[in-house]
Amino acid sequence: MNGTVALSAADLQQVTPATGIFTLIALLIALPLAGAAILLLGGRRTNRWGPYLGVLTVTGSAVLAIVMLVKLMSLPTGSRSIGQNLYQWVFAGSFKVNFAFQLDQLSIVFVLLITIVGTLIHIYSLGYMAHDVDRRKFFGYLNLFVAAMLILVLAGNYLLLYVGWEGVGLASYLLIGFWQYKPAAAAAAKKAFVINRVGDVGLSLAIMVMFVTFGTVNYSDVFGSASHASQGTLTAIGLLLLLAACGKSAQFPLQSWLLDAMEGPTPVSALIHAATMVTAGVYLIVRSNAIFDRAPWAAGMVIAIGIITMFMGAIIGSAKDDIKKSLAGSTMSQIGYMITAAGLGPIGYVFAIFHLLTHGVFKAGLFLGAGSVMHGMKDNVNMRMYGALRKVMVVTFITFGACYLSIIGIPPFSGFWSKDDIIHAAFERGTLIGVAGVLVAGITGFYMTRMVAMTFFGKARWEDDAHPHESPKVMTIPLVILGVGAVVLGMALLFWGNIKTWLEPVTGLTEAPTVIPDWAIMTISLACVLVGAAIAFVMYARRSVPTTAPRGSWLTRAAREELYGNEVNNTLVVRPSYYASRVLNWFDARAIDGFVNGLGGFTGAAGTRLRRMQTGFARSYALSMVGGAVLVILALVLVRL
Amino acid sequence: MNPIMASAPALFTIRSVDYRAISPVLIILAVALVSVFVEAFVGRSARRPVQLVLVFGAFLATFIDLITLHATRLVTAAGSVAVDGPALVMQGAIILLAALAAMLMAERMVDPSGDPFAARASSLPGSVDEAEFSARGYFQTEVWPLLLFSVAGMMLFVSANDLLLMFVALEVMSLPIYLMAGMARRRRLLSQEASLKYFLLGAFASAFFLYGMALTFGFAGSVNLGSIADAVSAKPSQSGLLLLAVAMLSIGLLFKVAAVPFHQWTPDAYQGAPTAVTALMATTVKIAAFGALMRVLYVAFGGIRWDWTPMLWIVAILTMVVGSVIAVTQSDIKRMLAYSSVAQAGFILVGVIAVSGKGLASVLFYVIAYGFATIGAFAVVSVVRDASGEATHLSKWAGLGKKSPVTGAVLSLLMLSFAGIPLTSGFIGKFAVFSAAIANGATWLVIVAVIASVVSAFFYARVIVLMFFSEPTEATASVVVPSAFTTIVIAAGATVTVVVGIAPQPLLDLVNNAGLFLR
Amino acid sequence: MNAAVQAGNVGETLVFWICAFFSVLGALGLIVSRKAVHSALWMALVMINLAILFVANSAPFLGMAQIVVYTGAVMMLFLFVLMMVGVDSSDSLIETIKGQRVAGILLGIGMGLLLVFGLGSALTNSTSVGLDAANGVDKGNVQGIAHLIFTDYLIPFEVTSALLITAALGAMVLAHRERWIPRLTQMQLSRARFAGSGHPGNLPNPGIYARHNAVDTPALLPDGSTTDLSIPGPLVARGGIRPVDHAEVDEVAAITDGGQS
Repeated sequence: MNGTVALSAADLQQVTPATGIFTLIALLIALPLAGAAILLLGGRRTNRWGPYLGVLTVTGSAVLAIVMLVKLMSLPTGSRSIGQNLYQWVFAGSFKVNFAFQLDQLSIVFVLLITIVGTLIHIYSLGYMAHDVDRRKFFGYLNLFVAAMLILVLAGNYLLLYVGWEGVGLASYLLIGFWQYKPAAAAAAKKAFVINRVGDVGLSLAIMVMFVTFGTVNYSDVFGSASHASQGTLTAIGLLLLLAACGKSAQFPLQSWLLDAMEGPTPVSALIHAATMVTAGVYLIVRSNAIFDRAPWAAGMVIAIGIITMFMGAIIGSAKDDIKKSLAGSTMSQIGYMITAAGLGPIGYVFAIFHLLTHGVFKAGLFLGAGSVMHGMKDNVNMRMYGALRKVMVVTFITFGACYLSIIGIPPFSGFWSKDDIIHAAFERGTLIGVAGVLVAGITGFYMTRMVAMTFFGKARWEDDAHPHESPKVMTIPLVILGVGAVVLGMALLFWGNIKTWLEPVTGLTEAPTVIPDWAIMTISLACVLVGAAIAFVMYARRSVPTTAPRGSWLTRAAREELYGNEVNNTLVVRPSYYASRVLNWFDARAIDGFVNGLGGFTGAAGTRLRRMQTGFARSYALSMVGGAVLVILALVLVRL
Repeated sequence: MNPIMASAPALFTIRSVDYRAISPVLIILAVALVSVFVEAFVGRSARRPVQLVLVFGAFLATFIDLITLHATRLVTAAGSVAVDGPALVMQGAIILLAALAAMLMAERMVDPSGDPFAARASSLPGSVDEAEFSARGYFQTEVWPLLLFSVAGMMLFVSANDLLLMFVALEVMSLPIYLMAGMARRRRLLSQEASLKYFLLGAFASAFFLYGMALTFGFAGSVNLGSIADAVSAKPSQSGLLLLAVAMLSIGLLFKVAAVPFHQWTPDAYQGAPTAVTALMATTVKIAAFGALMRVLYVAFGGIRWDWTPMLWIVAILTMVVGSVIAVTQSDIKRMLAYSSVAQAGFILVGVIAVSGKGLASVLFYVIAYGFATIGAFAVVSVVRDASGEATHLSKWAGLGKKSPVTGAVLSLLMLSFAGIPLTSGFIGKFAVFSAAIANGATWLVIVAVIASVVSAFFYARVIVLMFFSEPTEATASVVVPSAFTTIVIAAGATVTVVVGIAPQPLLDLVNNAGLFLR
Repeated sequence: MNAAVQAGNVGETLVFWICAFFSVLGALGLIVSRKAVHSALWMALVMINLAILFVANSAPFLGMAQIVVYTGAVMMLFLFVLMMVGVDSSDSLIETIKGQRVAGILLGIGMGLLLVFGLGSALTNSTSVGLDAANGVDKGNVQGIAHLIFTDYLIPFEVTSALLITAALGAMVLAHRERWIPRLTQMQLSRARFAGSGHPGNLPNPGIYARHNAVDTPALLPDGSTTDLSIPGPLVARGGIRPVDHAEVDEVAAITDGGQS
C-alpha cells in the first residue's frame, strides 16, 4: 500500500477568500466566546438568565453552521475551502502567521457536530444542573469550551489550532474539576492537565519543526511543500503529532486521565470526553493527512497505537461497574477505531471521520442516558445497584437502547455503517488489522450488553432510599433527538449526505481489494458482536447480579485497575520526578525552612534564619558558585580538546 | 592593540564623545545628583513629592529622549559606549519597567504603616528606635536617588562596549539594589539577610568578572569589545587564556541573570527584599544582564562561539530543569516566582544560544514580555496581605480568586503567560526563542526546554487552582485596595501581556528592526 | 625602573619568588586565622607584597597607590572597625553544613589546578609587550594612567563617581542615626535623674549574685528575687530576659547557709 501514495487532495483544493455568509465564520466562535465572557465576568448579576444565554449563543452558532453547510453544498466541489483572515498575528522576517480561519468540508462537519450536540447538551444541562449553585459558571465554562473547540477545528494554521488545543484543555480542566469539593474531581482535573501537557509538548514541537522545515505553519503551505521535506523530518513531525493526538484523545500510553475525568458532571463527559474534545486527536491526524501519507512509518505507529487502545478500552469497559467509567473505556476503544482508521491512510481517513460523527451522536446519547439514570438513582453510578429500570424510565431506556444498538453495530443503526467501513478498510490494509477490529467489535457487543442488562434488565437491586423516576422533559427531549440521530445519522450521511465524496477533496479516498469478500467480513463481524452480546445477556440479565463485585479473574482485576496504567505512570514518571525534586531541594535549605516557618511562627523563624545566616549559609551558595565555575571552565576547555 | 595615542607629545587629544547619543544616561545621572541634593537640602516633608516629580520626570524625559534617538547607531567615547538598536530597545524597556517599579515603591496605601521601606534603615530591627521612627511616620526618601543611580547603571550596562565600563556599570547597577533589598519595612531581619547574601555573592561574582577582564586584557591587550573580537580572530592560539577569560566573564554575568548553579541568591533575595525592589530585580536587572551577556558573547567572543555554546547548553539545561523542578515544591509565592524567574532565565538562554540576529531579537522580545508580566505579578503579590503584612505563603492564597475575582483573574492571566499558553505574550516569546534555537540546530535543547516548560506549567497552574478551586478559609489573605500607583502597574502588566499575546506585531517589529550589536 | 628590568632578570626573579611566597602565605593566613584582626594583618601582608611586585614590574605609581590606599587607608579602616567590634571576638570555626568543608577544599583545588594549568599553558610561550608601550609617550606611569583616564576610559572614570556617591549615600542610609528626641543638656540630665523617682546612682549590673553574668541574666536581690533594672532597656522591651532558675538560687542559699552553720 505504501507505494501507492495518493496525492493529497489538499494540494489540489485551493483556499478561496470568504465572501457572503462566510465572512461570518468568526461569528461562529465569537458567539459562544461572548457568552463565556458575559457569564464568567458578569458575576452574580447574570445568575438568573445566564444559563439561558449560554444555550442561546450555542444555538445561534448551530443555526449559522447549518446555513453555512447549505451554502457550502451549493458551491462547486473544488471551491469548498473558504479562508477568512482576520489579521496578521505574528510576522517576523519570513515568518508569517495569520489569525486566519479555514472552513472546508472537514471542518464544517466538525462545526456541526460541536454546535448541534453542544446545543443539545446545553439544553440537557438546564435540567441536569438545575439545582447546582454554580450553574452560571458551568454554562460559562461550557461556552468557553465550545468556542475553543471551534477555534481548534476552524483554524487555518497549526499555531491557531494550538490556541484552540490549549483552550479546550483549559476548559476541560475547569469542567472536570467543577465539583472541586470532591478531592477525586480535583485530582482528576490535575491529572488530565498534566497528561495533556505531555501531549502538548508533541504539538508544540511539531509546529516548531514545521516552521523550521517549511518556514510556515499554514495548512495549505505546509501540505503543499510536504513533498519537499525529507522522510526523517516528516516522520518526526508525524510522531510528534501522534503524541499530541494520544494526549488529547486518551490513547495509549497517555490514556489514564480519561477514566478519572468522569468525575466531572455527566453533560461534560458527554460533550467533551465523548463527543468532541477527545476526537480532536483524530481531527489532527486526518487534517495532517499530507504529512502522514508521506511518512508511512509514523502512520504505522498510528495504527499500532489505535489497535492497542482499542483493546485496552474494550477490556476496561467490560470490567468496570461504574457506568460512566465503563462508557469512558468504550470511548477510548471507539477512538482507537478512529485512530486506526486514520492511520490506514487515504483508505481510512473518511471512515475515521464518519465513525467520529456517528460516535459523537450515539456516545453523547449514551452518556446523557447514563446521566438520566444517575439523576433518577440519586447520583449512584454503580451498575450493580441498578437493574430493571426499563419499566420506570421508559424514554431513557428506549433512547439508550437505540444508541446501544448503534454502538455495537446492528444494521441499520448508525454505528453499523461507520464501524463496518472501518473494519472493511482495515482488511484492505492487512488481514490482522481487520481481525483486531472484528474481535474488538465482539468485545464491544459484550460490554455494552452487560451495561444494558445490568441497568435495565434483571431484578431491581436498588438501594433502599432510591426512587427511580423518569427525568424531566428538558432532559429527555435531547435524549430523544440523539436517539433518533443514532438510528438515522449513519444512513443519512452515507446515502443522502454522501460523506465519502464530500470529504474526498480534503482527505483523499482510495480503495483497495481485500482478501476476504465484503459480505464475509460483514457476516463475521456481526456474528462476533452477537456472540459477545449473547454471552453478556446470559451472564448479566438471566443470572442474578451480586451487588458487591466478585473477585473475578486476573484479567477482570487488571481491567478494574485500568490495566495498571496509573501504576505504570507512577513507577515510570511520578516517583522518579518526586525523588528528583527532593534531591534538588536538598540544595535549597529554605524549602525545609518553610516548614519550620509554618510551625514556629514568624519571629522564631526569622531568628532561626538570622542565626543560620551568621553561621554563614551564604558560604554554601558561594561553594556552589565555585562548583559552577569549575563546571563552566571544564565545559569550555573540554570542547577544545 | 595599543590604546595609547602616539601623536600627542605633551598634551593629549580629547576623544570625542557624542553627548547627544549618551544623553539618556546623562539625564538620569544628572537627576540622580539633583536628587541627592534634595536629600541634603529640602525639608523632610517636601522631600517625597519633590523626589517623585524628579524621578518620574527623569524617566519621562529619558524615554522621550530615547524615542528621538531611536535611529541612532554609533559607537562613541573612544569605543567604550555603543548606542545601537538592541541597546536602545533595552534602555527603553528598562526605563518603562523601572518607572513601573518606582510606582510600586511609591505606593503608600497598601501597608497600613505607610511606606514599603523601613522608617530608618539604620535603626535596629525590633528596637525602640525603630518603633519611634515608625510611629513618627518617618520614611526613607534616599531610595529615590538610589533607584536613579541603579537605572543609570543598567542603561550603561546594556550599551557598554568596553569591559571596564561594563564592570563599573555593573557595580553602579548593583550597589543601590543591594542597599534597597535590605530596607523592607516588615520582616526586616529577612530583608537584611537577603541584602547581605546578595551583596556577598554579588561581590564574589564581580570578582570572577574582574578576573575574566584581566585575563581578557592579557589575551587581547585591550578591554574594548571590538578590539577583543579582532584579537580573537587574529590569534586563535593561546586558547587557555582566552577560554579562561570567557569562562570567568560568563560566570560574572550568569550570576546576574540567575542561571543555575549561580542562582542560589535568587530565592532568598527575592523573598526578603521589599516587593517593589524584587520587581525591579526580576525585570530590569534581568534585561540588563542578558543585554550585557549577549553583547560580550556575541561581539567579543562571537568568533569562538563553538567553544562557548556547549557550556551555555549545559548551563541552560541545568537552569531550566532545576528552576522548574524546585519551583514545584515551593510554598511561598515569592520564592516560587524566584525559581520561576530562574527557569525563565533558562528559556532565555536557549535564545542566547542561537547566536544569530533572530536569537537576539527573540531574546529581546522575551525579556520585555517577561518583564511586564513579572512586574504585574509582583504588584499583585504586594496587595495580597493579612495582618502580618504581605501574605506570601501559598496556603493564604487558597480561595483568593473567589474573594477577589479580578485580582485572581489578573494573576491567573500572568501565570498563563509565564507558562506559555497561547494568546499571551509568554507564548509568543517562547515560540520566538525556541524557533530561533531550532533554526540554529539546537533541536535537542528545545526539546528539553519544552519539557521543562511543561513542568513549569504545572506550578503556575497550581497557583490558579489554589485561588479558584479551593474554598477560602479563615487564613486566606485579603486584597488591599491600592492607590493609583499599584493599580497602574497591575493594569500595565496585564494589558501588555494580553495585547502582546494577541497582537505581537509592533513589538516584534521593534526588536527585529533593532538589528545587531555594533562594535 | 626600566633599567632594572634590562639589567638582568636574576634580581627580579628573586623578588618575584619571595613576594609570591609571602603573598600566598598571607592569603592562606587570611582564610584560616580564627580572629578577624589576624586576618586583617595577613591581608596587609598580601597587599604589601603585591605592592612590591608592582614596583618591581616598573609600575611604581600602582605600587605606591596600593600601599597608600589599601594598606594605609582601607586596612586601617578595617582594623578600626574590628577594634570597635571587639578585638577578642572570634568566629566559630565549627562547620555545621555537612560536606561543606570537604567539597570546598576539593573544588578549590580543582579550580586552582584548572587556573594554574590553563594560565600556565597559555603564558609559557607568550612574549610580553613591554612597558614602554604601556607607559606611553610620556615615559611615566602617572602620565600614562592620566592619559588613559582622560581619553579612552573617560566615561568609566566619570561613572565611577556615581559609584562613589552611591556608596556614600548607602553608608549614610545604613549607619546614620537621627535623633528623634532633642539632645538633653547636662543640667537637664542631672535634674531628671534626681528630681524623678528613678534610681539616681548606677543601676545594678546584670548577673550580680546570679549563676551567669550574661547581659540578659537579671541580678539577684538579697532576698533571692530578681531586679529587671539590671537588664538593658532594649532587652526588657523585647522580652529577652533569661528567667532565673530558682532551684539554683535555693542551691546557692543552701550552700551559703551550710557554710555558716
